[in-house]
Amino acid sequence: MPSQRDVRNRIASVQNIRTITRAMEMVAAARLRRAEQRTAALRPYADAIRRMTRSAAQAAGGASGLPVLAEHETLQRVGLLLVAGDRGLAGAFNSQIVRAGVAAAAACEAEGLTPVFFASGRRPAGSLQFRGLEVAQAFTGFSERPAYADARRIADRVVDAYTAGELDRVEVFYNGYISPISQVVRRETLLPLSQASVMGAEEDGSGEAPSSGEEPKQRALVEYEPDPEVILGRLVPDYIEVSIYRALLESAASEHGARMTAMRNASENAGVLIEDLTLEMNRARQAAITQEILEVVAGAEGLS
Amino acid sequence: MAHTPFQVEILTPDGSVFDDAVEMVSTRTTVGEIGVLANHAPLLAMLEPTELRLYVGEGEPLRFAQSEGYIQVGGNRAMLLVAEMHRPSELDAGALRERLGELERELAGAERDGEWRGAALREQRRLQAFLRVAERPAAAR
Repeated sequence: MPSQRDVRNRIASVQNIRTITRAMEMVAAARLRRAEQRTAALRPYADAIRRMTRSAAQAAGGASGLPVLAEHETLQRVGLLLVAGDRGLAGAFNSQIVRAGVAAAAACEAEGLTPVFFASGRRPAGSLQFRGLEVAQAFTGFSERPAYADARRIADRVVDAYTAGELDRVEVFYNGYISPISQVVRRETLLPLSQASVMGAEEDGSGEAPSSGEEPKQRALVEYEPDPEVILGRLVPDYIEVSIYRALLESAASEHGARMTAMRNASENAGVLIEDLTLEMNRARQAAITQEILEVVAGAEGLS
Repeated sequence: MAHTPFQVEILTPDGSVFDDAVEMVSTRTTVGEIGVLANHAPLLAMLEPTELRLYVGEGEPLRFAQSEGYIQVGGNRAMLLVAEMHRPSELDAGALRERLGELERELAGAERDGEWRGAALREQRRLQAFLRVAERPAAAR
């Protein structure tokens, strides 16, 4: 049976932990609101860039000498960009990205391809290294508040690797933000453009975007100034940047949401623990009182 | 000048800057200066850093400093996608001049590879355009 003092010390330390987790929850909630606003602000722009890339690519008809548009003849090296956080204490936020990335790498290897890891955030970089996997480059220090310049740095690196022939495909993994309690791993292919997610069906977020996308029959009449190929030369790197920026922002919102939820759970658990410990302490105190009474009564009986 | 108004939307990565009816959009593409009126033919063009003017009605147009981007016209709407868009009052001419000076010194001194040079020249053009917008008084157009 632990003594009263032991239990009291434990209660005090659990109370301290609860104070910290509550504070972290508040901070995450405040930052989440900002991150949510930035994600929402970017969405129309990102969707418009995607639509524009799609129509320009269709107008160009695939025939182009630009290295960034070139499709490599052999698929050998696949770049996997894992976007997660710099810090932990956010539930499954970091680990589910690493797990998805490692699973994708294993699938690549099964097909005879070579995966090449890129990491955004200290956590995925550290986890990959811990597993003995090589990280080609890690980008760290901005996961909670990414700037456009951060996305540009990452985009430059992967686009350079692609045009230099170091990579034949580029995929990105990030936590898509749905709500504070729900984040899902999203996987998007960025390059080559013909396989990119942008070339698929209308993306989910397009419902709220302005409906200025032309009808297919109108598309043929659009005047391109200069040629669609030249526009794509600048549009594709911009599209990659925006896609990565979007992944970073969604990931930041997800990180704050995941941390807020994790810290709320931790605070609740601490509350339950404090109740249990308080009960235990009261029992210990009552036992001590009973013990003392027994001793007094026994002593009194011994005298009589 | 009383032209038919049409809808113009300006989007940046930080959100929508402008979404309203205007009579004319005046800006610069890689091909040259253009003015877009209502019922313009469908167009997709690349924008260069310059001063963007939106003629809303009689009187002074709305002025913006525009960085690189794209303009898409179709269905009697125009959409401008730009990396940065600022009102002249938000620009700090002194800070811009300082950064431009730094960049020009780097450009003159460094013997870097073509890619870095290309990016630096683009940044130089952007700074020059912003500086022109920041320094021009609204009245003396």
